[in-house]
Amino acid sequence: MNTLLAPNDYKSPLKPIWCPGCGDYGVVQALYRALSAVGRPPHEIAFISGIGCSSRIPGYTTAYGFNTVHGRALPIAQGVKLARPELLVIVAGGDGDGFSIGGGHVPHAIRRNVDLTYLVMDNQVYGLTKGQLSPTSPRGLKTVTSPMGSLEQPINPLLTVLAYGAGFVAQATPADMPGMTALIEEAIRYPGFSFVNIQSPCITFGEEEQQLKAHKARMKPLASLGHDPANQLAALDLARAYGTELYTGVFFRNPSPPPTYDVLVRERQVELQRGEPRPRSRVLDNFPRS
Amino acid sequence: MTPVTGIDFERLSLRDALDLAVLIEEEARDRYLEFAEQLATHDTPEVADFFSRMARIEERHRTELLDRRRTLFGVTPSAVDRRNLFDVEAPEYEAARAFMGIRQALETVLAAEVKAHAFFSEALPRVKDPELRALFQELRDEEVHHQALVKAELARCPEKPDESEAYADDPVAQ
Repeated sequence: MNTLLAPNDYKSPLKPIWCPGCGDYGVVQALYRALSAVGRPPHEIAFISGIGCSSRIPGYTTAYGFNTVHGRALPIAQGVKLARPELLVIVAGGDGDGFSIGGGHVPHAIRRNVDLTYLVMDNQVYGLTKGQLSPTSPRGLKTVTSPMGSLEQPINPLLTVLAYGAGFVAQATPADMPGMTALIEEAIRYPGFSFVNIQSPCITFGEEEQQLKAHKARMKPLASLGHDPANQLAALDLARAYGTELYTGVFFRNPSPPPTYDVLVRERQVELQRGEPRPRSRVLDNFPRS
Repeated sequence: MTPVTGIDFERLSLRDALDLAVLIEEEARDRYLEFAEQLATHDTPEVADFFSRMARIEERHRTELLDRRRTLFGVTPSAVDRRNLFDVEAPEYEAARAFMGIRQALETVLAAEVKAHAFFSEALPRVKDPELRALFQELRDEEVHHQALVKAELARCPEKPDESEAYADDPVAQ
């Protein structure tokens, strides 16, 4: 265990202004502990986020932080990782930021397998803008934008990222702080794109059955079910229960992680440096002439 | 869910047990300070002051235990750290509410003291060392004393309707 950096070394002097009782307080605490266990100093970490309550997290850490624009955390994080591959890059955001506004970026970040850890604080509602339907809101949910109840089928974040081929997929809840801390640490250590769906309830606009008290009663650790995280098909099957069952733990961990995009890019750069440099005047030779 | 990870109570030394107790108080102090900040930000000054007072009480407990530890073992390094602890005596984050009243705050503190008592009660059967057992019994019994103090304050606290939900929609500048 690293003893050089304590969890509080990752805590910035900026005070969180989330609503008292928000699940995100537990998430940021778990993050401090996970980072302390991983042991990378704050100046070797970059936190990238989009917009939303949970996207405030970069400000609450001592690491480099970039609170970007809505839904664009993943493209910017990929750019950061490619430009500065030595940094540990963590992406944080909400379900709306990740699966609605930024939904188009998720498959591409996954298929490229950039070495990022993506933490989604899934509260099934747009909390910052005062409680509208989000992509993970359950069907029938009454909000200011669905006063008679939502008619839409929610996105299943677990099934989505598994289907796109993410190498590490887990789900956590602040109702189990030790479990969530261990999962975040494991996700950070995974060499490749890792995803943790954190069921972090919105205390102000969330439903009662989505609050931590209910989580404590409902959550089922996957380890207690005997699930083998190397079994991708079993993971897909379990992920289908999103919204009805609250499974926590690792759904899938690729036992043979493929090379990451950032490593492949570096290899290509080295390869190009070894070869004869192509003169600029020959660039047009790449294109067929009609 | 265990609130303490990575510690074998059967092999715990007195020094490490004292360090654990210090950290438990430290964690509770920090959480009450966070609650005080949260509620001050969310226009609940009376309860913010109450949680600040709780933080000072936890800090006093921490200092007392730390003095004992230093008297017995000096400043030798500890084998336990905050990463081993998860809300042993600290109230859980979900307990805080904007516009909560003093009565709710006292109930939050009482729940935390009950939780700490349960922790020491559950750990005791696993502790074999007589000196360590005595320390854990002392700490467990102190939690009973703290509970009695909180219950006495609760008895003096007037019953008021919980207003925390009535203002749930009140915005705070983001």
